[in-house]
Amino acid sequence: MDVDLPYELQLVTDLRGHEERAWQIAWNPVEPLLASCSADKSVRLYNYQPSNESLKFSHIHSIPTGHTKTVRSLAWSPSGKTLATGSFDSNVGIWEREGGHDGDEEAADWECMTLLEGHETECKSVAYSSSGTLLASCSRDKTVWVWEVHPDSDFECMGVLMEHTQDVKCVAWHPSEEILASASYDDTIKLYIDDPSEDWFCFSTLTGHKSTVWALAWSPKGSYLASSSDDLTIKIWKRVAEHKWECALELKGHERSIYSISWGKGKTGEESLGWLASTGGDGKINVWDIREPPESSTGRVLSHKLIATLSSAHDVSDVNSISWCPREGFEDLLATAGDDGSVRVWKVVPSH
Amino acid sequence: MNGEIFNPNPTVFALSKRSGRKSKFETGRSLWIDNEGPLEQTDDSEVESIDQDEIFDLIRSIADPEHPNSLEELRVVSAEQIDVGQNHVTIEFTPTVPHCGMSTLIGLSIRVRLLRSLPQRFKVDIKVKPGSHQSELAVNKQLNDKERVAAALENPALVETLEKCLETAGMQSELYD
Repeated sequence: MDVDLPYELQLVTDLRGHEERAWQIAWNPVEPLLASCSADKSVRLYNYQPSNESLKFSHIHSIPTGHTKTVRSLAWSPSGKTLATGSFDSNVGIWEREGGHDGDEEAADWECMTLLEGHETECKSVAYSSSGTLLASCSRDKTVWVWEVHPDSDFECMGVLMEHTQDVKCVAWHPSEEILASASYDDTIKLYIDDPSEDWFCFSTLTGHKSTVWALAWSPKGSYLASSSDDLTIKIWKRVAEHKWECALELKGHERSIYSISWGKGKTGEESLGWLASTGGDGKINVWDIREPPESSTGRVLSHKLIATLSSAHDVSDVNSISWCPREGFEDLLATAGDDGSVRVWKVVPSH
Repeated sequence: MNGEIFNPNPTVFALSKRSGRKSKFETGRSLWIDNEGPLEQTDDSEVESIDQDEIFDLIRSIADPEHPNSLEELRVVSAEQIDVGQNHVTIEFTPTVPHCGMSTLIGLSIRVRLLRSLPQRFKVDIKVKPGSHQSELAVNKQLNDKERVAAALENPALVETLEKCLETAGMQSELYD
């Protein structure tokens, strides 16, 4: 199937253990650690080490979390030392490792340093800013909260953004600037910045999706933002001025809601804007190579090429989350989480 | 939920004959759960097919949340409003009145019944009959948002109400056998 594509997805490992639907995975940006969260209210941590030209993943720890409902979302701080969890119990948990440093992962214990309360209903997504000084969370209560991270796990709420008219499904920070994006059940995307003399405010609303916007992913260098929707499309928004974003491309390739997208550097060189991976209710994974049009061309349309695809990535299950490994040397490594409770790791390899 | 009755006087229709065949899913369990001795090995080409009537048998006896009647008696559901593909089921239902505030609850009870009964390979879409509800799009959107459905099913009060609607869901076989 799809023999014409230059790459294929090779299963590296299938990690079982969650007792219920796995909602999200998050790669630690510094250490060889992969975290997953689930409706079973736990977080599972895996480490990975090279082994015979492949990678060996081992389950090293489970955090029961104490959340009273589904753990929906996960985010590592840029330092890799702190993990945030967002739960349907409306709280955000902040976790740090106690003891067991210097490689002795199994001796480590993960403790809840603080619990951020504020949302009235299910928290659906959490995200750290690139500097690690800000944390955003969003909820069915239609709000987005921006928290400032102080030493000793102290958090201060810097703003409650009440711009969306419905559930907020996802928050995502720009990879280098303090720009926050949120996606909603109200079909829109909102962009926010901090006004030094005032508060956080929404400076732009991106409209065009015809149904719930489930996920957001910034391009690695930050000049583009991708969004995926229940309308079965992915849109790529280009930064055309400092505070202006326009739709530059629409991608199709899924038959059911596109629950998750991730934009990694890829392995096709500097001319590429990177690899965009998507997945959703149809159980399919697609990987696109996204490029800017050559200087000579007058068109503004981004070029895109589907380079790999895989159906039934989690057998008959929906796939809820997809994520590129952010660590150098692992740009071809993808993880997914499915309704079957499993976490799978994939390597993008040239097809034969 | 606040005691308001959306349709105080619904029309109750006579029940139709059931399909006559005993559904494999009647127990409310997955087909793959072994309750009749060892399951035969099935390869992909021999996936058990399911038809309209079997799906209808699963949902016809669900109780209406505000009346002592089944969804079939109120003509909220019918076999004709069920579309079955290889791995895909679409259910359309008809609220008794266009302002029915119970529509999402009815839709959710259908979804949960199928979630518990059908093999996992089935993707289920649930919609109100076009033109039958004043908030048609909002109801459809909510019923097909898996995150909202998942969160609803972690709400104990809502689950209790749902279980009441579903208590009668397996009664079909007793009525006619």
